Amino acid sequence: MMSFCRAVSVVPAPCAAGRDLARIVQINEEIKAIVALAFKINIMALNAIFLAKRAGSTALGFSVLSNELRVFSQDLKSAMAGLSGLIHQAVADVSVLLQDQRLVRLLEAAEMHSGGNERVREALRARQEKMQNHGAALARQRRQLQLVLANVAQLVELGGVLAKSAKIEAAYGQSFAPALAQVSGEFDGVVEAIRHSLGLLHKSEFFAQR
Amino acid sequence: MKATQCFFQDGEHKWLAIVRDPERPEALIDTNEYLVAYGGAGLLIDPGGAEVFPAVFSALSSEFDPAAIAGLFASHQDPDIISSLALWLEFNPKLPCYVSWLWASFIPHFGGSAESFVAIPDEGMAIDLNGLTLQAVPAHYLHSSGNFHLYDARAKVLFSGDVGAALLPAKSASLFVEDFDAHIRHAEAFHRRWMGSNEAKRAWCERVSRLDIDMLCPQHGAIYQGADVERFINWFDALRVGVAVG
Repeated sequence: MMSFCRAVSVVPAPCAAGRDLARIVQINEEIKAIVALAFKINIMALNAIFLAKRAGSTALGFSVLSNELRVFSQDLKSAMAGLSGLIHQAVADVSVLLQDQRLVRLLEAAEMHSGGNERVREALRARQEKMQNHGAALARQRRQLQLVLANVAQLVELGGVLAKSAKIEAAYGQSFAPALAQVSGEFDGVVEAIRHSLGLLHKSEFFAQR
Repeated sequence: MKATQCFFQDGEHKWLAIVRDPERPEALIDTNEYLVAYGGAGLLIDPGGAEVFPAVFSALSSEFDPAAIAGLFASHQDPDIISSLALWLEFNPKLPCYVSWLWASFIPHFGGSAESFVAIPDEGMAIDLNGLTLQAVPAHYLHSSGNFHLYDARAKVLFSGDVGAALLPAKSASLFVEDFDAHIRHAEAFHRRWMGSNEAKRAWCERVSRLDIDMLCPQHGAIYQGADVERFINWFDALRVGVAVG
């Protein structure tokens, strides 16, 4: 008898769907880490705006960039909320697929032991079809997640540019230059941490599934 | 694979027991499933857990056409009783499942929708199987808080769910209790712990002692027949239940 995994290629092997849940947990952890970093940038940007105000006209550019970094942190937070929603949907899709796989396994066994009962075979076929549809829905979900991740990556690149520009602007801060340089260096470090978490998300084997 | 044994037959009126699965994974408690058939239709009683569905289905198929199953009866909500529901509904989405009203919104966690269930009221109800009247007999708190047994007055068979259950050694193959005193040792701890109420037990003993019973069929272990039925009821009546250490 042809095994189900070979017969329906769009659906991952039973153990793969189980592992997907563990991968989703890791993805969630990274999302939480990025949201925390976005919050940190927001607070840092607020402090930077106050600092730039104290520095006066010499830190006007730094002030504008700090504002932009605040907007960046809020955009990043929204993007991660969207990603989180998609991930929750993926959990539902994987759970449905796991249930399908269990039902298929038990129906296959029932069909085999009963010498090919026609109605069990029909039920098995119907369930396999549903499983295939659910597998296709999950594949679509993965692609959508990848698209969102690509957009987030572009956003983070923008954040990186803003942080680098803030570093340059800090040099014009005259007596405030050391303080502004320290703040801009911290921006850079946090954006780098976001980039690292995003890299881990990209590398997740959850997206390697076909 | 499980074995199907017919232990009552009068023309097309039959009781089948689906029992003893030597290939059953050790982690799963052994269960008995029963089918009462009448005029070509069947009612599957305590259909079993999802993991034993293949074994139950194939064993049943050897003696009875599963397509002729007209309904399922679940004595209560436990997974070894009814977690195979989703699979039976895959096989026939229109199968009604008779169960205490108390569990009608809990069991759908195993599968099915509101339409899948016939809620049995606390006082019990008559269930028609193609002209044969079966009676859902209240057995609340024995052990589940919404619990029913099933009585077939014509066959004089009482399906007694977990009451009468015995956790027998693996080598015990007999369908019927052969030596009551030896057998009941395997039932005592189970009943003391699983049966939660002495009052409920008393009421059940009084209720079933008024019924004409030739065979008392539990969901685990062996069937009591003849004088062992009364012996069991008396033993159960005298047993102090609802007892746990700690």
